Amino acid sequence: MEANRSKSSTTGAEVPSLLANVEVSHLDGFDTTTPAPSPHPPLSPRTQQQLNQDDATRPTGRVRPLDRVTHRSDAAIPQFDSPFQPPGSRHAPHVSISLPSSPTGFSEHHLPPHAGGDGAELHRLSRTSAADEAERPPMHHAGRTSKVMFRSQPIPGGVPAHMGGRMNSRAGRTMNRGRYDSFKTFSGKLERQITHLAGGGVPVNTPEEEEVGDAISGERTASLAPNVDRFFAALEGPELDKLKSSEALVLPSDKKWPFLLRFPVSTFGMCLGVSSQAILYKTIATAPPTEFLHVSLKVNLVLWFIAVTLMSIITAVYACKIVFFFEAVRREYYHPVRVNFFFAPWIACMFLAMGVPPSIVAELPGWLWYALMAPMLCLELKIYGQWMSGGDRRLSKVANPSNHLSIVGNFVGALLGASMGLKEGPLFFFGVGMAHYAVLFVTLYQRLPTNATLPKDLHPVFFLFVAAPSVASMAWAKITGEFGVGAKLAYFIAMFLYASLAVRINFFRGINFSLSWWAYTFPMTGAGIASIRYATVVDNTFTRGLSLGLSLLATLTVTGLFATTMVHAFIFRNLFPNDIAIAITHKKIRPIMELEQRSNDDDSRSGSSTTTKDIEAGPTAAVAPES
Amino acid sequence: METTSGTLKPCGQELSPKGAALADDDGSMLKASVAPNKPPPLLASRFAMLTRFHAGYFRISLALSGQALLWRTLSDSSTEPSALRPVARSLPSAAFALLWCLALLTLVALCALYAARCVLRFPAVRAEFRHHVGMNYLFAPWISWLLLLQATPFLRPEAPSYHLLWWAFSLPILVLDVKVYGQWFTRGRKFLSMVANPASHMTVIANLVTARAAAKMGWHEGAVAMFAVGAAHYLVLFVTLYQRFLGSDSLPAMLRPVFFLFFAAPSMASLAWCSISMSFDTGCKMLFFLSLFLFASLVSRPTLFKRAMRRFSVAWWAYSFPLTVLALAAAEYAEGVREPAANVLMLALAVLSVIVTLALMVFTAFRTNELLPHDDPFSAATLPTRRTPSS
Repeated sequence: MEANRSKSSTTGAEVPSLLANVEVSHLDGFDTTTPAPSPHPPLSPRTQQQLNQDDATRPTGRVRPLDRVTHRSDAAIPQFDSPFQPPGSRHAPHVSISLPSSPTGFSEHHLPPHAGGDGAELHRLSRTSAADEAERPPMHHAGRTSKVMFRSQPIPGGVPAHMGGRMNSRAGRTMNRGRYDSFKTFSGKLERQITHLAGGGVPVNTPEEEEVGDAISGERTASLAPNVDRFFAALEGPELDKLKSSEALVLPSDKKWPFLLRFPVSTFGMCLGVSSQAILYKTIATAPPTEFLHVSLKVNLVLWFIAVTLMSIITAVYACKIVFFFEAVRREYYHPVRVNFFFAPWIACMFLAMGVPPSIVAELPGWLWYALMAPMLCLELKIYGQWMSGGDRRLSKVANPSNHLSIVGNFVGALLGASMGLKEGPLFFFGVGMAHYAVLFVTLYQRLPTNATLPKDLHPVFFLFVAAPSVASMAWAKITGEFGVGAKLAYFIAMFLYASLAVRINFFRGINFSLSWWAYTFPMTGAGIASIRYATVVDNTFTRGLSLGLSLLATLTVTGLFATTMVHAFIFRNLFPNDIAIAITHKKIRPIMELEQRSNDDDSRSGSSTTTKDIEAGPTAAVAPES
Repeated sequence: METTSGTLKPCGQELSPKGAALADDDGSMLKASVAPNKPPPLLASRFAMLTRFHAGYFRISLALSGQALLWRTLSDSSTEPSALRPVARSLPSAAFALLWCLALLTLVALCALYAARCVLRFPAVRAEFRHHVGMNYLFAPWISWLLLLQATPFLRPEAPSYHLLWWAFSLPILVLDVKVYGQWFTRGRKFLSMVANPASHMTVIANLVTARAAAKMGWHEGAVAMFAVGAAHYLVLFVTLYQRFLGSDSLPAMLRPVFFLFFAAPSMASLAWCSISMSFDTGCKMLFFLSLFLFASLVSRPTLFKRAMRRFSVAWWAYSFPLTVLALAAAEYAEGVREPAANVLMLALAVLSVIVTLALMVFTAFRTNELLPHDDPFSAATLPTRRTPSS
């Protein structure tokens, strides 16, 4: 591929003509395919398997001629797909059409244009163990050895097929280590050095690999994460975390990925859930309507410490993920649903500040509020600006209930600031939050046809609808000093939304557990706290009963969720399944020509991979494979 | 002429070929298409200018009138004991008078030109009125007049001439309101979801300016009425624009400076409500903070404006008015809150708006020929030719 890089600078427009002029069927060893319907894709995947098994040699005898001639139309295929391809993408799909430099030199196969990425390749690598050649889609492989010069013509936007080469050679040696390197921050170099120092049986770094390593880090700087359209195309589900059956992953789906890669940012939802419980018990202990329960502040203390511990652990782990797997973090940031969870750490910190037991800190320092709101402001400027500038990530396209997390932060900040005695700052965030909440609320209610992410069925994520009005009512009450008309209006809206979700509780059944459910418990807790505040002002049996009922419901939900989490963690051991959402390819893998041929393959393949995909689904999937 | 749907294609891509075509043929194409009976060459060039002139040029008068109002407000507030006094004393009244005269002259000249265009090129004016971006700028002359009225040093708000002038400038706004807002929810191709674009904020700003002038005049009911109309439609427009059903295709890349109107509207609303409620209360503060946030949001995305900044055009004048309105709102905020941080904010915004306006004046003075460029995306829209306009 290195030699080919000069060729790769030519635009894709040249490729078709080049191919059209070249008659390859007469060349020895050059893979030719017949256009006749073949049971498997024309490009020879079997050679890949063999290559993996034995990378040291270049077995000329193993190559079987491919089944068809590379037509001009094949070259055109990647161009069709190229709109999906962000320029300079690292994982590149690139379409390579290899031409032999000399008939003898071309001992391996060639690859017909394929639009697989690095990922597709790794995916195939993982499947080589299964001797399932017939199902393998065309792969792109570049000459991995110095002996074969490649004559691939990558279509623009591609990157290095030499990555493939590297992967292959590594794969031969270490099936496990290489494939996650594309996600690592230091491109695996650190790892190689460490293993080298450790004196393990690590093969010497060939110059090719060094170059490849540099190239990877080079590409990394120039690469873009998948386009938002790609996320919508490849994923489905209310949290956009289930892979569509026609898609493939960049990372092997049958292996358990490194723990850090499986640790999503939505884990911060746990902190949200627990810290809001701490605030709830602080309120129960101190507010007049619930004083008759005589709940001691010790409950708040215990919960608060648990919350702080949890927050520190999760923050530390995620910090490790940022350091070691920055690419994975970037992909999470570009995911239309996960990006909202980047607000969660700051909201959780604010909850901790609000729920701090009076015995520990009596008065919170003013700078703390500014320190917590500054990152929130930056995130907001970015996210709301994307909505406003109306590009790819405009609201009508990406709106989903998780966006409430970005709005609630404003109200939580306003509440915290007002309870700390600040005046202008809370008003600023309340105003901004209110304006954007109006927009989001209308958009979600509209269920615009351009919006792909709203789940057809109900899902716990809908409880986030209740969060914003209930926190807004508390914030307004604190800002104005009394639970006045504005606060009551917001509170009633929150109660109405809660009621309309609660009566539909039947529709929430049969949904698979995921760690992000913790994030959806804090609205229930928030509603409980708002009810207690309302009952302080309007004190009668009904309001007291309501506040008690909602608080009890919130506590029970959190307890149940905690139990489920423990079960998944220790009994099923699938609390952190492979995080599929970050491992989608940049470009859809299959060329258009082979859609008919491929569809059968996909069906058979998806059947076998259902089990792996259902790791995320949890135990229920084992009973119902087609869940 | 052209239809809204025709204009909703991504304008940026179409701009260059169209612009190139126009630039190639230059005046001759324009003349041939708009003036079938070819007038003598000297008149022809004048007619060509009238053809290329459009309501968007009123941005210049908007900017200057806004500046005049800002200077007036800053020097007025010096009568109150605040940190503004040293600032206000440094603004010589002569400079203010000069600015006011310049604004008046510019406005009169532009109005005269536009009147000539109405008379001589009425089909072009009608086409402009039908265009989803162009029709919003038909409010601009009236806004400029109202702003200038408020900035007039020798006319007190209680004077009968003030009242008369207010009526004279508000009636056209009312008429246009009824027409434009009615179209938003009744007329098929002109539904708001299809035509909404950042320039639509002009309609809202017109209502709010009228409300403020009415409040200053003492007519409370009228002020509240105009404010209500403006605020209601602002809510609808805000949500629609944030949703961006069509994406950023509704506005050509050259007109990206118009995005600054996003924060001009809430600032104007804050000013209007402040005049109505006689104090800078919580609602005004929240609107002001919202506009600050939107300003920060736009300023932190310089790539949005990169394409428009390649060439000087009248669209650049769209930067000035919103900044001026924001500075005005900051001045009212500083008055209301009386904190040092607020004063600093007000000074910073006022300085920014003055610098930007001065820079624009300098640019215009040196590049007057570019002010009526051949490939202005908007002027293509007003040509009654067979070609569908890009914007």
